[in-house]
Amino acid sequence: MTEPGATTETSPVRLREPANLVCPRARWMWLVEGIVQALLLGGVQVAWWLLDRRGPRDPHVLVAGVTGIVMLAYVVGMPLWRFRVHRWEVTPTAVYTQTGWISQERRIAPLSRVQTVDLTRGPVAQLLRLATVRVTTASAAGHLVVHGLDRDDATALVERLTVAAAAERGDAT
Amino acid sequence: MSDGIPPILGGDQQWRRLDARMLLVHPVQEAVRFFPALLVVFFSGRSSGRSGWWEWALLAGVIVLGMSRWFTTRYRIWGGQIELRRGLLNRRLLTTPADRVRTVDVTAPVWHRLLGLAKVEIGTAGGGVLAERIVLDALAAPVAARLRGELLHRVAAQTEQDVEHGSVGGSASESWIDSASESASESTPEQLLVQLDPSWVRYAPLTTSGLVSAAAIWGFGAQYLDEFGDLQDRVEGAVDRVATLGVGVAVVAGLVGALVLVSLLAVTGYLLTYWGFRLTRHTGGTLHTRRGLLTTRATSLEEKRIRGVEIGQPLGLRLASAGRLSAVTTGLGREGAQHGSAWLTPPAPRSVIEATAVAVIGDPVAVSGPLVSHGPAARRRRFTRALVPTAVLCAATVWLSRVVDLPPVLMLVGCVPVLLAPFLAADRYAALGHALTPRHLVVQAGSLSRRRDLLARDGVIGVTIRESFFQRRAGVVTLTATTAAGRQRYAAIDLPFERANAVATVVLGDIVGQFADSPGRADPSAGRASR
Repeated sequence: MTEPGATTETSPVRLREPANLVCPRARWMWLVEGIVQALLLGGVQVAWWLLDRRGPRDPHVLVAGVTGIVMLAYVVGMPLWRFRVHRWEVTPTAVYTQTGWISQERRIAPLSRVQTVDLTRGPVAQLLRLATVRVTTASAAGHLVVHGLDRDDATALVERLTVAAAAERGDAT
Repeated sequence: MSDGIPPILGGDQQWRRLDARMLLVHPVQEAVRFFPALLVVFFSGRSSGRSGWWEWALLAGVIVLGMSRWFTTRYRIWGGQIELRRGLLNRRLLTTPADRVRTVDVTAPVWHRLLGLAKVEIGTAGGGVLAERIVLDALAAPVAARLRGELLHRVAAQTEQDVEHGSVGGSASESWIDSASESASESTPEQLLVQLDPSWVRYAPLTTSGLVSAAAIWGFGAQYLDEFGDLQDRVEGAVDRVATLGVGVAVVAGLVGALVLVSLLAVTGYLLTYWGFRLTRHTGGTLHTRRGLLTTRATSLEEKRIRGVEIGQPLGLRLASAGRLSAVTTGLGREGAQHGSAWLTPPAPRSVIEATAVAVIGDPVAVSGPLVSHGPAARRRRFTRALVPTAVLCAATVWLSRVVDLPPVLMLVGCVPVLLAPFLAADRYAALGHALTPRHLVVQAGSLSRRRDLLARDGVIGVTIRESFFQRRAGVVTLTATTAAGRQRYAAIDLPFERANAVATVVLGDIVGQFADSPGRADPSAGRASR
């Protein structure tokens, strides 16, 4: 830091990716989620087919074809892409996550500002022995989420974060 | 304070009721709340010609409901806790430790002022934006003022103790008496930071408040317009008479009339809201604002909880080189933020805004210093983001006019935005910037509603770096500093990737530095040219 009053000059920094990949089974979880979304869209398509009895079939075929190709690419590509992006790391002082696929997001929060640690398991995650860890801070916009961790890893992570958060005094604002 | 009122904090553990004069206010409040329903019932009863006894029964019910609120609400402040019990069928107990009190608002709407009452709203720490504030509606005005002083001075005394003993709570009940006697002997010295200059009312028509109130009045009026058929006829008659003068005259008359009306509303609103505005600093470490013509509102903010300020410059105010200032603070909650508890000035000249901002956060460079601009990629993105949608809109209207018959006015409406877009984009890029001072992170953005946010670096509790697909291709990211205060998130949009990482490293220090590829590599060329 320079003398008071001057704009602080900074040196170039490149953040590296967080160290740990999520559990490889997370790909299957995202695949199932993608299939469910594709099926919902397919259901809409079928309903449209059944309701619209009079009109020509061409628009139906066209829309179904486009949706089918896009959803196929989504269902196959999204889990693989996500798996390459989603990463996490916990050090003695900070939590660091990277999420997303088309839009990507990196979040860093000091452990001293952690307020609550949640562990959630959806139905698909339970079948795959996966869990999602959600870390909240005193900021309503400052939560970090690690998707698709192995259940045992997640439990260990929650324990570690809880201990760290409890050691901190004050209201962490 | 030598007003002969016994100290409230050192009091007994009796549950107290609100001031008995609320028996007069509550029924009126309930009647106002049920006004639409009552109106409908009365009018429908009138038109169908039934005997009106059950309408009066309904009114009586509303009054009894209002009075029941007084009988079911109790509070006590004892043993370090503020407790509020209320509700008839749905009983609730709200509790908060007194040492978590961060802000205290004392408001007095017209009814309250006539009866010498005031409402106390208490904001606490750690509850997040959804936290419910404790509202004592209402106490006798001197008691409310007294309670406010005691709560905030207690906070100051308590935090000093924390530093000495390194603990919270524990000896709470003893310190009640200390702080109470202390504040009683104190003569509350204060320093005046801002006082309303009546000439500032000229800024009122430049804000959107007049439009908003006009829309609100129109929306409210439209609901009941059916009930006042003859009024509607008269309005339509006036419109017809003007229309006979010709379309051009009618449009001009309508525009001028609307402008005058909206300006009048804005001026009225400004006077009602900001009359007698004063911002003062007390030695106890709090900022006090006081304002209002009919409804008076006094707010106290603990300075230790202020994490920065926002300098708002909506286009109208910016053209008149004016702006408004509000505090970024924890413990206000969503309700407090909506009621303007964080306002530090009314719309006022820029010099006043800057002087006040410096007085509050003590960092002149952050307030008015130069900003680092975000570079050519950010500039390109401003232009594409402004031009592409407007060009598509224009092309669509032109194409539509070939296919179907469109009035030429519609084509004009569709294509004017694309002509304005470059100016908007240029202005948006001119606004875009950030800066780091030893104590603050400054971000600025926006054209129609430009805002410069000054966030204390020690108030930043996390960093988010987000890149969309297009941002990644342009090599820029959006850096968001998350905080427990104010809007909870303050973003610098379209920063070059490396610059964003550098800013994050400076703001959070080693927390971010440990994740860098090559920590501490010195290279002065990174600090881009200041504007």
